[in-house]
Amino acid sequence: MVKRTSLLALLLVPLVGVATLAAQQRQITGRVTAAQTSELVAGVTVTVTGTAFAAVTNADGRYAVSAPEGQVTVVFRRIGYKRREVSAPAGQNTADVTLEQDVFNLEAVVVTGQATGIERRNAAMATTSVSGAEVARVPSPALDRALAGKVPGAIISQNSGAPGGGTQIQIRGSNTVIGSPDPLFVVDGVLYSNAALPTGLFAVTVSSRNQGLGEQQDDPVNRLADLNPSDVESIEVLRGAAASSIYGAKAANGVIIIKTNRGRAGKPHANITQRLGFSELLRGPATRAFTLADPFPYTAARIQPYLVNGQVPFYDHLKELTDTKPFAYETNLDVSGGSENTRYFVGGSSKRDGGIIGNTFDERQNLRMNLDQTLSDRLNLSVSTAFNRTATDKGFTNNDNNGASVTYAIAYVPSFVSLLPQSGLYPQPGISYLGSNPLQTAALAKNTETVYRFTGGATLNWQAVQTARHNLRLVGAAGADLFQQKAVVISSPELLFEQTLTNPGTSARSNADSRQWNWNLNTIHTYTPATGTFKATTSAGVQVEDRELGRARVVAHGLLPGQSNIDQGSVLQQQFELNLKERTLAFYGQEEFLTLAERLMLSVGFRAERSSANGDPNKYYLFPKAGASYRFPGLLGEGTELKIRGAYGETGNQPIFGQKFTTLASTVIGGSVGTVIGGVAGAPDIKPERLKEVEAGVDAQLWHGRATVEVTGYSRHTYDLLLQATPVTSSGFGTRIFNGGVLWNEGIEIAGGVTPVQTKSLSWVFRTTFTSLKNRVQELPSPDICKPGATVCGFRPPVAGFGLPYGEFFIQQGRPITQIIGTDTVPGGGGALLTRYLGQANPRFRWSFLNDVSYRRLAFSMLWDWQLGGAEQNQTLSLYDCNGLAPDQVTVAGRARYDACNVWGIAPPFVQSTTFLKLREASIALDLPERWAGWFGARNARVSVTGRNLVLITDYFGYDPEESNFGQQAISRNIDLGPYPPMRSFYFSITAGF
Amino acid sequence: MTNRLRTRTVLAAAAVAALLGGIACSDFFNVPNTNQPNLEDLITNPTRAKLSAAATGIFASARGDIQGIVWRLGSLGREGINLSGNNQPDYQEPYFLAALTGNFGGALWGGRYGAIRNANIYLTALGRVSTAEVSDPEKAASRGMANTMKALAFLYVVEARDSLGAPVDVDISITAPPAPFVAKDSVYGYAIGLLDSARADLARAGTAAFPFSVPPGLNGTGLNAADFSSPALFIPFNRALAAKARVLRATAANCGAPCYTAALADLTASFITNNAADFKTGAYFDFSNAANDVPNGLSEPLNGVTFYAHPSDSVDAQLQPGGQPDQRVIDKIVAAKDTQVLGGISEIPGEQKFTIYFTGGSPDPTRPIPIIRDEELVLLRAEAEWFTGAKLQALVDINLVRQNAGKLAATTLTIASPDAAFVAELLYNRRYSLLWEQGTRWIDARRFNRMADIPKQPPTGGNVAKVMPIPDPECNGRGLTNGCTPLTP
Repeated sequence: MVKRTSLLALLLVPLVGVATLAAQQRQITGRVTAAQTSELVAGVTVTVTGTAFAAVTNADGRYAVSAPEGQVTVVFRRIGYKRREVSAPAGQNTADVTLEQDVFNLEAVVVTGQATGIERRNAAMATTSVSGAEVARVPSPALDRALAGKVPGAIISQNSGAPGGGTQIQIRGSNTVIGSPDPLFVVDGVLYSNAALPTGLFAVTVSSRNQGLGEQQDDPVNRLADLNPSDVESIEVLRGAAASSIYGAKAANGVIIIKTNRGRAGKPHANITQRLGFSELLRGPATRAFTLADPFPYTAARIQPYLVNGQVPFYDHLKELTDTKPFAYETNLDVSGGSENTRYFVGGSSKRDGGIIGNTFDERQNLRMNLDQTLSDRLNLSVSTAFNRTATDKGFTNNDNNGASVTYAIAYVPSFVSLLPQSGLYPQPGISYLGSNPLQTAALAKNTETVYRFTGGATLNWQAVQTARHNLRLVGAAGADLFQQKAVVISSPELLFEQTLTNPGTSARSNADSRQWNWNLNTIHTYTPATGTFKATTSAGVQVEDRELGRARVVAHGLLPGQSNIDQGSVLQQQFELNLKERTLAFYGQEEFLTLAERLMLSVGFRAERSSANGDPNKYYLFPKAGASYRFPGLLGEGTELKIRGAYGETGNQPIFGQKFTTLASTVIGGSVGTVIGGVAGAPDIKPERLKEVEAGVDAQLWHGRATVEVTGYSRHTYDLLLQATPVTSSGFGTRIFNGGVLWNEGIEIAGGVTPVQTKSLSWVFRTTFTSLKNRVQELPSPDICKPGATVCGFRPPVAGFGLPYGEFFIQQGRPITQIIGTDTVPGGGGALLTRYLGQANPRFRWSFLNDVSYRRLAFSMLWDWQLGGAEQNQTLSLYDCNGLAPDQVTVAGRARYDACNVWGIAPPFVQSTTFLKLREASIALDLPERWAGWFGARNARVSVTGRNLVLITDYFGYDPEESNFGQQAISRNIDLGPYPPMRSFYFSITAGF
Repeated sequence: MTNRLRTRTVLAAAAVAALLGGIACSDFFNVPNTNQPNLEDLITNPTRAKLSAAATGIFASARGDIQGIVWRLGSLGREGINLSGNNQPDYQEPYFLAALTGNFGGALWGGRYGAIRNANIYLTALGRVSTAEVSDPEKAASRGMANTMKALAFLYVVEARDSLGAPVDVDISITAPPAPFVAKDSVYGYAIGLLDSARADLARAGTAAFPFSVPPGLNGTGLNAADFSSPALFIPFNRALAAKARVLRATAANCGAPCYTAALADLTASFITNNAADFKTGAYFDFSNAANDVPNGLSEPLNGVTFYAHPSDSVDAQLQPGGQPDQRVIDKIVAAKDTQVLGGISEIPGEQKFTIYFTGGSPDPTRPIPIIRDEELVLLRAEAEWFTGAKLQALVDINLVRQNAGKLAATTLTIASPDAAFVAELLYNRRYSLLWEQGTRWIDARRFNRMADIPKQPPTGGNVAKVMPIPDPECNGRGLTNGCTPLTP
C-alpha cells in the first residue's frame, strides 16, 4: 500500500505547479519546401527553442506558431529530412525554409517512453531506425528477414528457406537459457504477438516423441510474417536495457517498435505496386556419384540391380526434389490523404510466394486502415486497424525419425537409386530411409497453416495545458491483437513410409487462439523556464498488459485412403490443449532534462511491475534506468557534430507461464483417467531474470551530415537466470526450475554512413553496420548445477543437439554461452575418447555493406552481409557422411568423416564454421519519364528488378549456415538438420503513384 | 494557475487515482493454472475423487517402461533387436558395447522412480485425507495397492542395474541431498519389505472394496487377466511378486535356500495353478489407442522396420518329437514381410518378427503385456523346489511347461542330475516361455553366472553388457562422472 501511494504521488507530480500564461506573444508564419524537389512539405514539426510552443505544417507546407517577443530560434523537423534551425529576430514574423533529405535517419525521434520521445541527436542510448522504404524495397518472406544487415547489434538468421518465414532475431547476444529469446514487438502501440506456433508436423516426422521437443522442430513461422512490409513507415529497434527498460520484464531481448503509414492532409495519393517473380534453389548438398570399383559402404553386388545399361546411374535427388522455379506475385495498393482534421491511410495487398519443393507456398492478404482525427485544438484521436490472412504450406522437412522429412530422407538414398515415378507410381527405392520415397512424400505431403488476424489500436491525445512555460499532455492508448491459427498436416496412407506403420496415414489438426491487449495512460509535462536555460519533461503512467494464448491439437492415425478428416482414422492420439495467460500491471515515472543550449541531456526513470507469471503475483519488481549525453557541435570543424553518451538500465525477462507450478499430468489406463507426476518441479518463488547493462557511445556527424558514424559499446549481465537443473533422476523429477547464475555479454556495434557523391544527377550512399560480441557464462549456482567435486560445472540446455558424438551445446561456467562441445579422439590415445570444445554459435562479427547508387532515373542497390566465425552443428553433413553419400567419400578426408560417424563416434567433422558472405538484396530500378507514367494516368512510375539471397559464398557443406532446426532459440540457434533448402528469389516490379 | 486549469487538473487526477486504485487492488493479476491439476492441491487438499485418479495414475505409470524393458533388456539378452533409429541406431549399444553409455543405458530408471514418486505422493495424500472421504479399511486397502506397485517398480530397477545397486529412500524433498545408493540385496530386501507390509494392509482392509477402479489387466476382464480387483483378491498378485522377488534375490543376491523356502510359501498364496490351460492367466499391463492412453508399440506389422527376433531364437530351439521346432517358437516368431538390412550389422539382417503381441494374426496395439503370469510362477516354483531339495517336484514343474508350452518330450534330467544341468534346462524354458516379455534371458544369464551363454557374435566385434549403467543425471546429480558406480566410488 505504501508503494502504491508513492507511485500515485509521482504520477501526479506533473499535474501540479503549472504556472500562469506568458503575457507577451506573437505569431510566426511561413512555409516549408524540400531542397532537391522544391515540393511543399507537410507534417513538419515547428518548435520555438526555449518554449513549449509547437505547430505542424499543413498540406501546403504552411505553419503558424506562437512565439515570445524578442529574438527566437525556430526549429523545423520532419522524419526523412534534416532538422533546420532558423533565427527569427524580434519583429520578424515570417520564416520560409527549405529542408534537406535525411539519408541516414539522423533526425528520427527516438522513443524514450510510452508516450515520449527525444530527438536522436540528444539520445543517450543507441537506437536504430529503419524506414519502411528500406524494408519494402526487396520483397521478403517476412519483415524480420528484411531487417537483416540493417540493424547493428542484431543477428537475424533464417531458420529455413521455406516460403512464409521462420526467422531468429537475436539482439545483443544470448541473454537467457530457458527464458523467452524473443524481442518484444510493438506495432502502433499494440503489443504484437510474434509467436511461432508449430503445425504439428512432428506427429508425422516424429522429430521427437516428446511433444515439446517435437514442436520446436516443426520450422514454425513466427507471426511477424503477418505484417505487410509495405505498410511500415518506420521500425525502431531498442537494443539496450536503458532504452527498453520502459517495457519492463518483456524487454531483455530488445524491443522492436513498428509504426505504420499514416495519412497526411492534402489531396489523395495512391500507389500501386505489382510484382512478379520466381525462386530457385540457392545452394544444397552435393551427392556422391558411385562406381562399381569403389562402392563402399555398399558392395558391387548391392549396386548391380540398379544398373542401367550396365552403367551406374546418377540421380541428383536434391535437384529432383527442388526442380521447380515457382511463380510469385505481390500486389500492393494504398491510398492516403485527408483534410486538416481527418487524415487516412488505406492499404491492401495480396501476395503469393511459391516454394522450390513441390506444393509448398505462402500466401498473404492484408487490409489496413489508419485514421487520424483532430477532435478539437486540444484533442486528437489516432486509430490503426489491420486485418490479414496468411496461409502457408511448408512441406515435410527438418529432423525426422519416421521417413517423412524429404530433406532428411534424401540423405539416405544413394545416387544410383531412382526415386522417379514410373507410370505414375513412385517406386519403393529399396535403399532408403525407413522405406520412404522422398519424391512421393513431396508430391503428397500437406503441412498447412492459415491465420486470420486483426490488430487494432487507438490513441487519444489531450493537450491539457499549453503555455510558453508549460505543456501538459495526457495520452491514453489501448489496443488489441487477436489471431486464430489453424494448421493441418496430412500424411496420406499411400506414402511408403506410412505403410510400414501399424496405422498408416496421419492427420494432425492444430488450432491456436491468441489474444493480447494492452492499455496505458500517460501524463507528460514539459516545463521550460522563462530563461529558456533548460527543458524538463516529466512523464508518468500506468500500463496494463494481458496476453492469452490457447492451443489445441489432435492427431489421427490409420486414415482411410484419400481422407484427411480426423474422424476418418482408426486412432486418435497426441491430444493436447494448453492455455497460457499472463497479465502485467506496471507504473512508470521518468524525468528528462535538456539544458546547456540543448547540448546536455540527462534522464532517469523507472518501471515498477507485477506479473501473474512471477511466483508472487503481488510483488512489484523495479527496473530503473538513467542516461546522459553531451553534444559538441562543430568540434571537428564546421558542419560536424560529436556526441558522447552513456546509459545504465535494467530490464527483465519474465518467467514462462507455468514455471511456478508443479503439475500433475493426466493419463488413461483401462478407460479410467488418472494423474501422474509431471516430471518438472516448478518454482513457487520464481522471479524474472534481471538484465543490467552499461552502454556508452560516440556519435559523429561530419561533412554537413553527409557522413555519420555511431559507435556503441556495452556490457550486460543477466542475473537470476531462469534455469532448469536436472536433479538426480531417482527423485522422480526430470527437471527442476529455479533462478540463479549470471550471463555476461559484451559487444561493440557500429553504424556508419557516407554519401561520397551527391550531385543533382548522381548520388552514392554507402551504409554499413557492424556487430560483434563476446559472452561468457559467468556463474552457475552451486550445488544445483555446480556439483561439489565435479570437474565441469555446467549443464546440457534443452534441445542441445543429438548427442556428444555429433556435437552439443553445453552451458558451462566460465565458457562462452553458445559453446558447442563434442566427442573427439585423444591425440595419440589409440582410440581413447574425450569431450572437448569445438566452437561457439556466436560469430566473431557480422558486417553488412549497403550501397545505393542513383544516376538520373536509374537506381541501383546491393546489400552484402559478411559473417566471420561462429559454428554450426551440421547434422545434414553427418547424415551424408554417416551414410557414405558425401561427394568426397572416396577420398581420404571423406572416408575419415565416414569413420568419424560409423567407427569412432566423434564430432569434430560435423561442427563447421558459419563464415559466409551473402548478397542478401540487390535491386535495379528505373523511374519512368513522367509522360510515360501519364499514359496511364499516373503521376510517376518506376520499374525494378530485385533479388533476395542471390549469392552465398561459404565453405559450409550443404545448405545455408544460417538455417536451424529448432526455430527461435537463445542458445541452440545453429543446428542444421535437413532444413528446407534456401531459395534465391527474383522479382520484377512496377510501381505507379497517382 | 487559472481556475480552468485547476479544475481540469483535479478532475484528471481524480480519474487517474480512482482507476489505479481499482486495478492495483484487484485479483485480476493472479492467474491460476487451468491446464493441469497442481501437485500442491492433491497433497494439501486430498479428496476421494482426487485419490482415485492418483491411484489410476499409479497403475498407468507402473507400465511406463515395460516396452523398453522388453526390447532393451531383450536386445542385451539377444532375444531380439531394434533395427530402427537412424544415425544413432538402437542396436548399436546393446550389441557392441561391453559397457553401455547413458544414451541407451540411461533408460528404465527415471520412469520407475517417477512411478515410485507417484506412489509416495499418493501415500502422503492418503495419510492426510479425512476418514469421512476415505474410511480406514479403504486407506489400508489403498496402501496395500500402492506399496505393491511401488515394490514392482523397485524390482524393475534392480533387475536392470543389479550389482550397481539403487537408492531406495527416495521419498524426500526435491532440494534435499540425494538418497544414498544401497546394494542390490538391500533393494530386494526393501521391495520384499514393501510387499509384506502391503500384504498386511490388504488383509487389514477386510471386506472393504478398493476406493478406485482396477484396470482390466488386473481385474479379470482383460485378455488372460486374473481377477485381483478387491483387497483380498489382490493378495495373490502381491504374493506372486513376492515369490519372484525372493527367487531373484536367492540367486542374484546369494540369499539361497532361505529365500527359496520363503518363495515357495509365497507361491502357495499366489494365483499359481497346475493347469497348463491357465499358463497365460495372470496380471497384465493394459494398452490401448484411446485418447491419452498408451498403445502397445511392440505390436508391429510384419513389414514394420523396428523390432526383429534374433536369429538364435530359432536356431537354439529344441525340436518337438514330430521334428518341428519348440512350439513356443512357432507361436511367437514368423518370417518378416520385408527383410531389413542395414549396412552396419549385415550379420543380423532382420528376417524374423515376433507375433507375441498379435491378436488373430494381426498387430494389435491394445494387446496387454504380462507383469507376471501362471507359466512364470510354475517355473519360479521349479527353481525354488530344486534348490530346496524337492527335485522331483521341480522336474514335474519343468515338464509341465516343456510338454505343454513347448510340446517337447519330457526332460531327460533326473534328481541325480547336477545343478548345472538343471539350470540349463530351467533357463531354456524360462527363455522360451517368457520370450520378449521382460528380458528374462539376460537377467537369468547374469544371476546364474552364465553371461557367456549369450552370444556376443554375430555381429563381429559384438559385446554383451552385464548391467544397465546408472543414468548420467543420477551420477552428475551426485557430483560423479558419467558411468559412475556410487557403491564403489
